[in-house]
Amino acid sequence: MPTVLVIAARDDWPTDRVVKALTDGGAEVFRMDTAEFPQELTLAGRIDARQGWLGGLTTAHRAVDLADVSAVYYRAPNPFSLPATMSEPERRFAAAQARAGLGGVITALNCRWVNHPAAMSRAEYKPLQLTTARDCGMTVPPTLITNAPDAVRAFVGDIAGPVICKPVATPVFIEGDQLKTVYTHRLSEDDLSDLRGIETTAHLFQAWVDKAYEVRLTVVGDRLFAAEIHAESDAAHEDWRSDYAAHTYRTCTPPDYVAKGVRRYMDRLGLRFAALDFIVSPGGEWTFLEANPCGQWDWIEYATGLRISQAIADELQGVPA
Amino acid sequence: MTTIVHPREAFPLAPEGGRIPHSSEAATGPSSRPWVLRFARIPDAAQATVMPPAVYDNELQMSRGLYDGPLPYMQTHNPTVPDGNVNNPPPLDEGAKD
Repeated sequence: MPTVLVIAARDDWPTDRVVKALTDGGAEVFRMDTAEFPQELTLAGRIDARQGWLGGLTTAHRAVDLADVSAVYYRAPNPFSLPATMSEPERRFAAAQARAGLGGVITALNCRWVNHPAAMSRAEYKPLQLTTARDCGMTVPPTLITNAPDAVRAFVGDIAGPVICKPVATPVFIEGDQLKTVYTHRLSEDDLSDLRGIETTAHLFQAWVDKAYEVRLTVVGDRLFAAEIHAESDAAHEDWRSDYAAHTYRTCTPPDYVAKGVRRYMDRLGLRFAALDFIVSPGGEWTFLEANPCGQWDWIEYATGLRISQAIADELQGVPA
Repeated sequence: MTTIVHPREAFPLAPEGGRIPHSSEAATGPSSRPWVLRFARIPDAAQATVMPPAVYDNELQMSRGLYDGPLPYMQTHNPTVPDGNVNNPPPLDEGAKD
């Protein structure tokens, strides 16, 4: 029986919403977290000259034949849970075998993906996002990525208006027992007077784009779900993630040139899901900022009524838009 | 022979030790600390969603609450922002990257 394989952390509750939409629609679902392998999940995959991967993924509660997997929903699962009695070298060896074995068999499945992990990993890189968006006809802000203080000064001198900085990769970290994050920051002259530390790693600088509002555009297959995010505080105006309480949302329709560019972007990177961020200027021009191939969507669904979870379920089942 | 490309790239999982590794180490000085970290902030705990107690139900293949009421996923549509508590990192914040 065709089965949707869902690979996600057990406490990823937005995935619950997708599972509910699938099962309510009569779909067969096999949900697992990679953390269940190898102690609670058994793999017995076989391939030969006559047929592709078949054999079982089995837990104490259910089983699925790999040949029956018609689609995979892949969303940030946890690391393998290996026996605590292993030594560290054994653990590293076993984790690599598990990744290449279980991960290898799963990623070799020829079925619908939301998203294929390799495509998702590649699409995480902001520099690739910007160049792909640009190639697909979208406007991107002038951007510098550097570890050279002189390059920062030159870039700021070339940009007529304000400049922002933001992390190139994850902004969240823990130090001194405290969780911290780095939001988009609009630079002042004081900030630029001391650039010690630029040389320690890659830094991203971008021209500030004057905004009327931002848009979170969630793409699921051929379906586009656009929501205006209006920021009611100065902090949220600079980076809406810094002040969720200061938002109001409205659904909207992207202009044709943006919709076409987004569809080309998704095709180019082999994605069937992404959460894209745009700035819309007071003149109505859309500027691409970034696209998260594993972005959050649950709060947008609640705030706007856009049926994103149902769209993910439909995409996994091959229901046309 | 080892490979150049780390296979993690083709099958990404959360890192060992959690999505945000814990550390008691303090910040270093300006010549060794990444410059952008000057703008690091402790997020506003007042905006963090408190997640209801829940257990994973293997039959439903989703979490259910410990008490009567809607299923947990129906109570998490407010974004959980980083709340400064290292014991409660933000599982529902902006995905694996953000």
